Amino acid sequence: MKSYIAEFDTKEKPKDYYNKLLENLKEKNRELNAFNNFNDSLHGGFPFSVKDNICVKGVESTASSKILKTYKPPFNATVVERLQKNNFGFLGKTNMDEFGFGSFGINCEAPAHNPFNSDYVAGGSSSGAAIATAILKYHVAVAESTGGSISSPAAFCGVVGFTPTYGVVSRNGLIDYANSLDKIGFMARSAIDVRKVLNMSTGRDTKDTTSLDVRLTDEPKIQFSVINQLMNGLDGKIRSAFDKFLEKLKGMDYKVNYVDLKEIEAAIPAYYVISAAEASTNLARYTGFKYGFKVNDFSKKYNDFFTEARKQFGAEAKRRIILGTFVRSASVKNRYYIRALKVRAMLNEKMRRILRESFIVSPTMPITTPKIADIEKLSPVQNYALDILTIPPNLCGLPHISFPYDYIGGMPIGAQVIGEHFNDYAVISFVENWERKFKYKFRYNIGAL
Amino acid sequence: MKIGLEVHVALPTKTKLFCSDSTAETKEPNSQICPICVGFPGSRPVLNKEAVRVAKSIAIALNCSVKDKISFIRKVYFYPDLPKSFQITQLSESIGSEGSIELEKKKIRIRRIQIEEDPAQIIREGGYTLLDFNRSGTPLVEIVTEPDITTEEELRETVFTLRTILHYQGVDVNQEIKTDLNISLAEDRVEIKNVTGIKNLIAAAQYEIARQGAIIEKGGVPEKETRSFDAASGTTKASRKKESEEEYGFIYEPDLTVYDTKNLAENAMRIPTKIARDLAVKHNANYKTILELIAFDTGALNLISTFEDEFSFNTIIASLEIMKRFGEPSNSNVFKEILNLTDQKIDITREVLKKIKSGDKVEIKKFSESQIDETIRKMLNSDATIVEKYKKNKNVVNFIIGTISKKYGIQPREAAVRVESVINKL
Amino acid sequence: MDDKEFKSLLETARISLIETESEKIKKDLEEVISYFDQLDKIDCGNLQPAYHPIEIPGIMRDDVPEEFKEKKELLDNTKTHRLYVIGPEV
Repeated sequence: MKSYIAEFDTKEKPKDYYNKLLENLKEKNRELNAFNNFNDSLHGGFPFSVKDNICVKGVESTASSKILKTYKPPFNATVVERLQKNNFGFLGKTNMDEFGFGSFGINCEAPAHNPFNSDYVAGGSSSGAAIATAILKYHVAVAESTGGSISSPAAFCGVVGFTPTYGVVSRNGLIDYANSLDKIGFMARSAIDVRKVLNMSTGRDTKDTTSLDVRLTDEPKIQFSVINQLMNGLDGKIRSAFDKFLEKLKGMDYKVNYVDLKEIEAAIPAYYVISAAEASTNLARYTGFKYGFKVNDFSKKYNDFFTEARKQFGAEAKRRIILGTFVRSASVKNRYYIRALKVRAMLNEKMRRILRESFIVSPTMPITTPKIADIEKLSPVQNYALDILTIPPNLCGLPHISFPYDYIGGMPIGAQVIGEHFNDYAVISFVENWERKFKYKFRYNIGAL
Repeated sequence: MKIGLEVHVALPTKTKLFCSDSTAETKEPNSQICPICVGFPGSRPVLNKEAVRVAKSIAIALNCSVKDKISFIRKVYFYPDLPKSFQITQLSESIGSEGSIELEKKKIRIRRIQIEEDPAQIIREGGYTLLDFNRSGTPLVEIVTEPDITTEEELRETVFTLRTILHYQGVDVNQEIKTDLNISLAEDRVEIKNVTGIKNLIAAAQYEIARQGAIIEKGGVPEKETRSFDAASGTTKASRKKESEEEYGFIYEPDLTVYDTKNLAENAMRIPTKIARDLAVKHNANYKTILELIAFDTGALNLISTFEDEFSFNTIIASLEIMKRFGEPSNSNVFKEILNLTDQKIDITREVLKKIKSGDKVEIKKFSESQIDETIRKMLNSDATIVEKYKKNKNVVNFIIGTISKKYGIQPREAAVRVESVINKL
Repeated sequence: MDDKEFKSLLETARISLIETESEKIKKDLEEVISYFDQLDKIDCGNLQPAYHPIEIPGIMRDDVPEEFKEKKELLDNTKTHRLYVIGPEV
């Protein structure tokens, strides 16, 4: 357990520290596509990066979409403001799947590459945030998760990724994907640094109706529940690594039990229905004249004008807009949209029952790190199915943390711990305990003094 | 014939529905805007409590049942004036439902009252449009009636009644009220979208009634369609295809939540129709006369309450009518004097009013009828042929009427009655 | 989903696809929708739809004007003419 934030503060830095940091980072970025832009005027504070779907005043914020090219928000996201007040320095905007639509960081103009091997994916959608955390020694990432966008890349890049309870961190300034699912969270090299930035970022924000005024708890659990249905689809190597992980837990005097939650697989369709429905309304505003990409030929009739602008969306964005438009259309709305919301209520209840007495634990991803080329071959349903482990806590707004616990073939793998609503600090505390016992070595240390 | 209305009215709040920009009038375009009302990515709505409070009051005033919990939905459609390409509005969990507008002799049922945001102002410029987002996000209520209106007269009365009730809830009824109206003379309903102002609403209805009537007369059937009203020509024409229910794809607005309306204190419930009805019953007076006096003048109502015990109701109403005739505002301090004079059957002429205002004493000369009659008799006697002439042409006594009226300060009408009665008695 | 339905969906969403893209996305869509149909088999009892994963208290804002100062920065994102935002023909 080590706080890089605390360590950074005590070290004396050379005069051109930030310039050197940026220079080295830019060099590395050419290979990995972690950043969409850099803050060249950074000259103080603990560096933090911001996922490109989170607004930084005056800085191009595109959610890695061509349709938002040139958009410079005239305001800061609340989370950015809060970190800046705590003497953090904005480093740059990180790459992502367009609008958050993807789990592998490749649904965008410049696909992200895994820092351990650039043939492999970095995970997504917060791909750049995870890469930045994996290669930068002194840095935290502000990321965002809708269905697993923090856990997935954190696991594939070997860093700690934390997603808070829904409503705990203000979404003001977040370029929406699906408002009832989106959560701003963090990535860092240690759980204690996640705790520090979370502590600075929580608290009700009058600019976000869904941001909550609650006291987060730190109630430890000694019981870990494994959901049987989630173990079925695991890759063999992941399964055996995870079994070893469970043995280590037992060695730390935690208890492991196996439970059934037979409806858990319905989390995927429920999630994709709700998120597509909300996303298709959020993305309706991109029509090519108020901000971002401009059509410019104003004599085109508005419908043609809008349709022309919307050609800028990538394939996955188009797919989800169409899907979302379909599932909320009046004639099928009850069958899909309303039904999915009921399934969310049901799963929420069942998960909470398990979480009263225990954490839920699983591998973060069911597969070892895939190659970029392999993911491109998958059909959407195959692709969506790989989110089975990260979707349930996201659908239900439960706090969860992914942390690296092993390597397979030189690539890091992660485990994910889910806690009760508002018991956010407890899952962080658990990873702090884990880190005390099992040290993790980072391969890159850009920005080290 | 069936007519139903969807009336959009701006609420009297200082700020917009979902952001803190001012709603005050301004000439400078885009001077009262922010990321929220221009729909910038990253911004999100925060609900204005006062808007909900006023909307609740309106719902109660219109006999609606008010929901304890309300929520909002997204209605998706594409048009340059709609910043997010969806409008935040209400549907099943709207502020009010199942109310009515009470006309003199019938009730127009209200299906729903919903709170929603106004789009931006759009100006067509041939080859492009210009947008002013100052109006964008203004809080509105949309009042949706059932198609219970069956005549043009009822349409006028509905609009008049609705406006007076809204006036008593603090709504600026001089604003350009936007209405969608549906009119069906036959089976299918024709919708006329976005008619601005009351005059245009009536004109649009008249035109549409005539248009559909002509089709039916020729043996045709008016088609189900959406039309728009062109104020310049006073006609309606088929308009752009609007999204259908299927395409609006309503979903719950996930940036907002469920709001409790129970603890919002509503306005004092002064409902002019009810007040006029009560007064009419109490004083055996005419409902319409009372309603017209108090409709857009709460001051008049206050005067009635103040003097109700002191003066006869007829005197108060007559005095208010005098005030109205001479354009005296109801807060004018001359009212008490007018009441006094009216009570003594003194006719208030413009001169009299002038005197009252300048603080001069209005001399009340009281003459008995016999005194007046005596003078008339004398004047008649001075011309021996006048009675004969009068039988052929009543105008011959006009000069006598004029003189009497002036001399005794009575109305010419009254003088004429006296002259006639004297002649008859001769 | 027939071609007509798919086309009308595209129109509603203001999305145009080139032909090759269109065929693939339509096929994807059909596959995804039939995958969604499994939701029908889940027993949700009498549960109400969960619009949010947790309960959000309905806090409203007071009606107090507050000027947004960065209007210039906002409008710099767009094309303006005499302070108006320029939009497409209607």
